[in-house]
Amino acid sequence: MLALRLLWRNWRSGEVKLLAGALLLAVAVVSGIAIFTDRLQRTLVQESNVLLGADRVVRGSHPHNPEWEQAAKEAGLSQTTAVHFASMVYAGEHMHLASVKAVGEGYPVRGQLETSLVPFAIDPQQITIADGIPAPGEAWVDSRLLPLLNLQLGDRVAVGEYELTVTRVLIREPDSSNPFSFMGARLLMNQADLPLTEVVQPGSRVQYQWLYAGRPADVEAFSAWLEPQLNPHQRLVDVGKNQQNLGRALATSQRFLLLAAVIGVLLASVALALSARQFANRHVDQVALLKSLGASSGRVRRLYFTQLFVLAVLASLAGLLVGEIMQRIVEEALWRSYQIRLGSGTVYPYLISLGSGLICLLFFALPALWFLPYVPPMKILRRELTVGRIQIGVQVALAFFAILLLVLMFSQNLKLAASVIGALVAVLLTTALLALGLLRLSRSLAGSAGSVWRLAVANLQRRREQTLMQIVVFSVAIMLLLTLTIVRTSLLDDWQAQLPDDAPNHFLVNIPQHEVDDIQQLIDERHYQRQPLYPMVRGRLTHINGVELSATKVAREGVFNREANLTWTADLADDNKVVDGNWWPQWQSRHGLPGVSVEVEMAREADLKPGDRLTFSLGGLAMEAEIASLRSLDWRSMRPNFFFIFEPGALDQFSPTYITSLHLPPSDKAFINDLLQRFPTVLVIELDRIFEQIRTIVTNVSDGVQLVLLLTLAAGCLVLLAAVTSSIDSRKQEVGLLRALGSPRRLMLGSVWLEFSLLGLLSGLIAVLGAEILLASLQHWVLETPIKPHYWLWLTGPLLSALLIGGLGVVSCRPAVNTPPAVVLREAG
Amino acid sequence: MGLQSNSVPTANSAPTNPVAAKPMVSAQNVAKTVHTYEGALTILQDISLDVAAGESLAIVGASGSGKSTLLGILAGLDLPTSGSVFLNGHHLTDLDEEGRAKVRAENVGFIFQSFQLLPGLTALENVLLPLELHGVSNARAAAAEFLGRVGLAQRLHHYPQQLSGGEQQRVAIARAFASSPRVLFADEPTGNLDSATGARIIELLFDLNRELGTTLVLITHEERLAMRCQRRIELNAGRIANSTVQT
Repeated sequence: MLALRLLWRNWRSGEVKLLAGALLLAVAVVSGIAIFTDRLQRTLVQESNVLLGADRVVRGSHPHNPEWEQAAKEAGLSQTTAVHFASMVYAGEHMHLASVKAVGEGYPVRGQLETSLVPFAIDPQQITIADGIPAPGEAWVDSRLLPLLNLQLGDRVAVGEYELTVTRVLIREPDSSNPFSFMGARLLMNQADLPLTEVVQPGSRVQYQWLYAGRPADVEAFSAWLEPQLNPHQRLVDVGKNQQNLGRALATSQRFLLLAAVIGVLLASVALALSARQFANRHVDQVALLKSLGASSGRVRRLYFTQLFVLAVLASLAGLLVGEIMQRIVEEALWRSYQIRLGSGTVYPYLISLGSGLICLLFFALPALWFLPYVPPMKILRRELTVGRIQIGVQVALAFFAILLLVLMFSQNLKLAASVIGALVAVLLTTALLALGLLRLSRSLAGSAGSVWRLAVANLQRRREQTLMQIVVFSVAIMLLLTLTIVRTSLLDDWQAQLPDDAPNHFLVNIPQHEVDDIQQLIDERHYQRQPLYPMVRGRLTHINGVELSATKVAREGVFNREANLTWTADLADDNKVVDGNWWPQWQSRHGLPGVSVEVEMAREADLKPGDRLTFSLGGLAMEAEIASLRSLDWRSMRPNFFFIFEPGALDQFSPTYITSLHLPPSDKAFINDLLQRFPTVLVIELDRIFEQIRTIVTNVSDGVQLVLLLTLAAGCLVLLAAVTSSIDSRKQEVGLLRALGSPRRLMLGSVWLEFSLLGLLSGLIAVLGAEILLASLQHWVLETPIKPHYWLWLTGPLLSALLIGGLGVVSCRPAVNTPPAVVLREAG
Repeated sequence: MGLQSNSVPTANSAPTNPVAAKPMVSAQNVAKTVHTYEGALTILQDISLDVAAGESLAIVGASGSGKSTLLGILAGLDLPTSGSVFLNGHHLTDLDEEGRAKVRAENVGFIFQSFQLLPGLTALENVLLPLELHGVSNARAAAAEFLGRVGLAQRLHHYPQQLSGGEQQRVAIARAFASSPRVLFADEPTGNLDSATGARIIELLFDLNRELGTTLVLITHEERLAMRCQRRIELNAGRIANSTVQT
């Protein structure tokens, strides 16, 4: 087939390599990112689901409807149940208000139970993954329950009316962030034993859980069916609701990866459009020749479009392969470094990648080649004949349409797609105007400069259209690369900042007032970093402005649905900021009530404002307070934080317990044993285990981000290369002519170097300006981090760009300068 | 080499054709006008001529006299504004571009001043191109044979930039003759060559022309080349100023 032979010859002569490279990179960028994000997202959701113990959990004060079980079975879901409650457990003279979880067969349906025969085990050798749940008559307990009850493994512990044998220590379990977990040490038992304990009676405070998991689509469909059937006492919980921190990290990482994918594809598309244009220019003569030899327009079209199609298929497949290999490399690295296995992905990202390749080809490459079949055969005799190309305006409009399609395909978010287009139009227009201005300026500056300068600037001026196009392409490419690099750095910094190394990793709660001094002393003796001890009483919000809460629409939401921790303090913690109203003592009550400061997000949800009256129920006693202020706070600080803070004295009649958090180095884990043995009633919440999980996930994401950045960088470099080589053909001829007229080689190279460096410098300047604006917008609207300028960019950006583009120009033009002028001129025809 | 002058002072009188009765190429009252920013510009006017099968015709004239435009119209690369053109009995001016392409494919070969070899293709592949385009079987052997006939048997796999100007024009000649065209149109075939190389190319061109019985229509500035043709017409400002039969 002639088209294939021509394609092979074109390939051999290097004419389609850039075209293929750009297409390959576009597909590789998309597939690398799409496959990886797909798998990463699935892994993150799975890992997060592990924290939940299931994909979805129905939680409620009543058992679930048994009829649902059959429906879940038919939907192909795995399911199990758990019952949570707080109960006093006994061992001899010792007792403890434990957080009991009675679980059914198959618990958990996501994740696993890790147990050990050694309390507080950290060494992986000592930890085993349970292959089931405690057998009837057995209990697995938190390490800290052993010192609390002075127990050894094999001893018996009474839960209500029934005695269980403690057979294992529970090291790690899903669903540890359940509110019940904070109340006491965990005791895990078999649900078959639950009736024998006689603990659960009508009116007991019990949380029933029905857990299910399965294929994502099945879970979604089933949940959609289930949700309307829930009664007011039941809630369907998923990862988003359960793990806000993880949810945020997931959303941010997805936004970043999406951004990187869009930028990568845009860069590759620009490279594709430029190389297609160059290919078309080089092939005008070939088409005229083919036509003079008797090829019809239809034949030429078939010949070229077949070549393009075959090239597209091959390049797309190669791109897919590159994407696949890259994401596998990351997968292996993840496995080696963190023993994290990525979940298997779907076919969707592969389709998206091929689709992107096709869109790039149709909208970026094809318009540039469209005119080829219409090249008049007479062009072979009369080179000066013009060829009717698709107007540049139409090509640009098509390109914008393609970008809209691509962004829509990646994000399925029309608003985002429209903003990308809007931003691009603004960037291109501004860049072109700036470039024009800078060009004029350089001309007036070069007037008094040496001959090399004058030649370089004159060259730029003469090819004004091409120069403008190149400056726009260079500056947009550099701008996107700078933006991406900086966003990545600040994103990682932000994540790292979320979890500083010395962040508190243990909470101590339930500290009685008389033990406060001793505990402070014990911690301070060991020089552990700790937060102040905050008094805390538990209370439930019952009325807002005298209206009973159950009558309001927010009754079922979050904190209103359960007891909250209430505290009082005179001093605002560092990470708390008053955003509305006044902090005491500046605050004055309007109603003669004690003041309370409310967390701002919750206030917004419930439409609360300063001056509103809140009624709390504290151990059966009603207490009314007036909102003095709304506070923002940083939940990520891992310090004790409160939705409600009262003014000092307001809660004096309620006996508080105290809470604090401290940072305990992993090697000092045994301190908890000492602490619990001396203060058995204190509850310790081991956040370090949850941290470890989050940190692993964050590291995974950052590794993925690095890879994505590399791919995008490659696309950027390809754009630069395509833009430089696109002007080389015409330059060669000029260089040959000037050389023939006796210009020394050094002058020629110097002028080429200056010309491209100047191009690079101007582009760099515009790119830095654009990057700063883009970064500020991203920081403000997308990543929600504070805006800060990057002064170092203003020096390094233009300089590096001048060096890079100047170098590329010299390397590309060197053969023309070194070749004898006669040969250059003869080749140029 | 004798020379007989047969002046044709008026354009309307058809030039005589001493070789054959049925013309291979025929132009009747051909005119070409193009529109420029400065208004209509007449490039050719009242051109009528016949070229018989196997005949060789040289079109001469000063730069800008319309030689290339006339060659393009005769070869079916372009259309006249008015008048008719026939090529091997096909009424080119009645055909659309697709039809003219078909006629070119079946009847026409070209040689250009700037050779028009594709730089990414070897000598052999350049000659192969028209054969492959026309679906000729055993194209590779035929192409190699023609390259052998122009003396480039040892240069089959060289790229154009590895060949001298004369060698490149030989490749172009091999390409032009390889598809056995009935008419060969040549646009200043020696224009880019030095005198000695040009002379050798002229010999080669006429040897093949004679051997294969091809009709030859060429444009040239070179007297030596024009004199080798059986007939010459001279263009002046778009009109036939002179038509001479040479023997």
